[in-house]
Amino acid sequence: MSGEGADGPVDHPAVPVRVRVTAPEGAPLSVTARRAGHDPAAEFYVRSLIRSQLRLSLSVALGFLLLLLCLAVMVAVWPQIHAIRILTIPLPWIVLGIGVYPIILLGAFLYNRASARYEARYRDVTGE
Amino acid sequence: MSTGTALLAIAVVILATVLIAVHGLRLSRTTGDFYVASRTVRPWWNASAIGGEYLSAASFLGIAGLIVVSGQDALWFPIGYTAGYLMLLLFVAAPLRRSGAYTLPDFAQIRLNSRIARLVTSILVVVVGWLYIVPQLHGASLTLAITTGLPGWLGAGMVMAVVCLTVVAGGMRSITFVQAFQFWLKLGALAVPTVFLLLQLGITGRSATGNGLAFDLPQEALGQSGIYSTISLIVALLFGTLGLPHVLVRFYTNPDGASARRTTAIVLGLLSVFYLFPTVLGVLGRVYLPELAQNGNADATVLLLPSRVVGGTAGNLLTALVIGGAFAAFMSTTSGLVVSLAGVMSQDLFGGTVRGFRYSAVLASAVPLLLALGTSTLALAGAIGSVFAFTASTICPLLLLGIWWRGLTAAGAVAGMLAGALGCAGAMLVASALPGLSGLALGLATQPAAWTVPLAFVVTIVVSLATRGLAPGATSTVMTRLHAPERGSAAPRAARP
Repeated sequence: MSGEGADGPVDHPAVPVRVRVTAPEGAPLSVTARRAGHDPAAEFYVRSLIRSQLRLSLSVALGFLLLLLCLAVMVAVWPQIHAIRILTIPLPWIVLGIGVYPIILLGAFLYNRASARYEARYRDVTGE
Repeated sequence: MSTGTALLAIAVVILATVLIAVHGLRLSRTTGDFYVASRTVRPWWNASAIGGEYLSAASFLGIAGLIVVSGQDALWFPIGYTAGYLMLLLFVAAPLRRSGAYTLPDFAQIRLNSRIARLVTSILVVVVGWLYIVPQLHGASLTLAITTGLPGWLGAGMVMAVVCLTVVAGGMRSITFVQAFQFWLKLGALAVPTVFLLLQLGITGRSATGNGLAFDLPQEALGQSGIYSTISLIVALLFGTLGLPHVLVRFYTNPDGASARRTTAIVLGLLSVFYLFPTVLGVLGRVYLPELAQNGNADATVLLLPSRVVGGTAGNLLTALVIGGAFAAFMSTTSGLVVSLAGVMSQDLFGGTVRGFRYSAVLASAVPLLLALGTSTLALAGAIGSVFAFTASTICPLLLLGIWWRGLTAAGAVAGMLAGALGCAGAMLVASALPGLSGLALGLATQPAAWTVPLAFVVTIVVSLATRGLAPGATSTVMTRLHAPERGSAAPRAARP
């Protein structure tokens, strides 16, 4: 191995050399503090970004978990609900087999929008 | 169903896999090419590829089988398999992509800067992978035995041999296109028969639900401990998805954090559509194949329905399509796992050489094959559920606390992972060693996630607080890298002047 051929478009042999792909190049696995003199303002902005993202994620997750819990309890303690049928299919089957999925998708869509908005705001205040 | 058609369908899928692998060898690329190519993958392709690797025997065969046996309780499985990606989206997708980690052990090292934490993570990833491959092989055994009458071990051996050889030869990987194609193949292999069966029933004037009979037949409860089992299962499925090694690798092919989120949202859409079909087939199975609930072959529901309902040549062709889709599911999930495992093993145990990678690939294939041949076939969806419980109790605390809590230390992470692993494995051993358990005790042992996941979190947090002084020095920098949006990579539609 010459040690050069792999990373430049210098000369392309007919069959490129096969190499094993391992950890990414741009991201060193051991991180050392980038700036010795810490920037308190930047640190503050990152911390508040993380806080708002975490609050957002937790509220979507807890809302969804609460919904699932309510469904599980409803099905368990209220067996009469089976008598409610649409096209011979009992209501719990419709809710669990079909109804839950649009709610999951809606949650994902709203979360993505809000999360991107937080990041845009972070970009604005940090001027990046 | 004639044995010949079944064997032909299996042969076609295996041949296609080998051909693609050989072709992939010729498409060999340099590391640089790989990364450049990776960045141009569109979220739609990437999401299809994730779906292709994720949908395994448990989804393809297991869900319909479980609906036949357990009825309504089984509907929680597809909900959990899908909603796991919602949790992935909310807590992991973007930060994990931004961490630059290619594997879970990479993440442990980046965040904790500790060799021991990396090693423990690697070992757990390997265990999870092995346990996850076993049900795929059981699925292959079942499919071959039911559709051709040949001995089942042949199916498991065939899948493992093909996967192992292609991986050792170096093919079948990183080809987003192939995995994406697998998703649409699996979707088609269930959707086409489902639509055809419903049409056929409609034309011949038979009711798809047996006039509601499907929902009134006896349903074997999932666990004997009522709502505890349901909750524990949901916890396992929701938080187990976070730690699946073969899925996480795929997130690296997203260009940035924002597109990782978009990809995950699309995955949710694809899975929501996919799971509709096994659910419908399960309901049909309750009406037209009720005997499967008793004879222990419920997982064959999807395979047997077409010939039962339609019969004739059309039934044979549909069955062949389902068999092909099933083998595609076993092979794509297994090969994704074997490659991830071989990568982790070779890096941490064999020093990262190519020869080490090959040894690791053989080891990653041989162990689960022996496990699969030495154990009897359990219900596929349930077996996968146990793997999710184990992942949720070990990898999930590391990821969630590592991404969102500055106070995590290497000692805390290792202690938490070990506590979760011992708790979960211990519970399952107790469950198999003491068949006399009943009531809540049985629930706690067979569905341990509801107590082992909190246990792992508590141990991680307590030990981290106790070893506060040993927190990695660069935590602030790492947290910034995980959460701050990439510079200059604002999505096109958000571009500002």
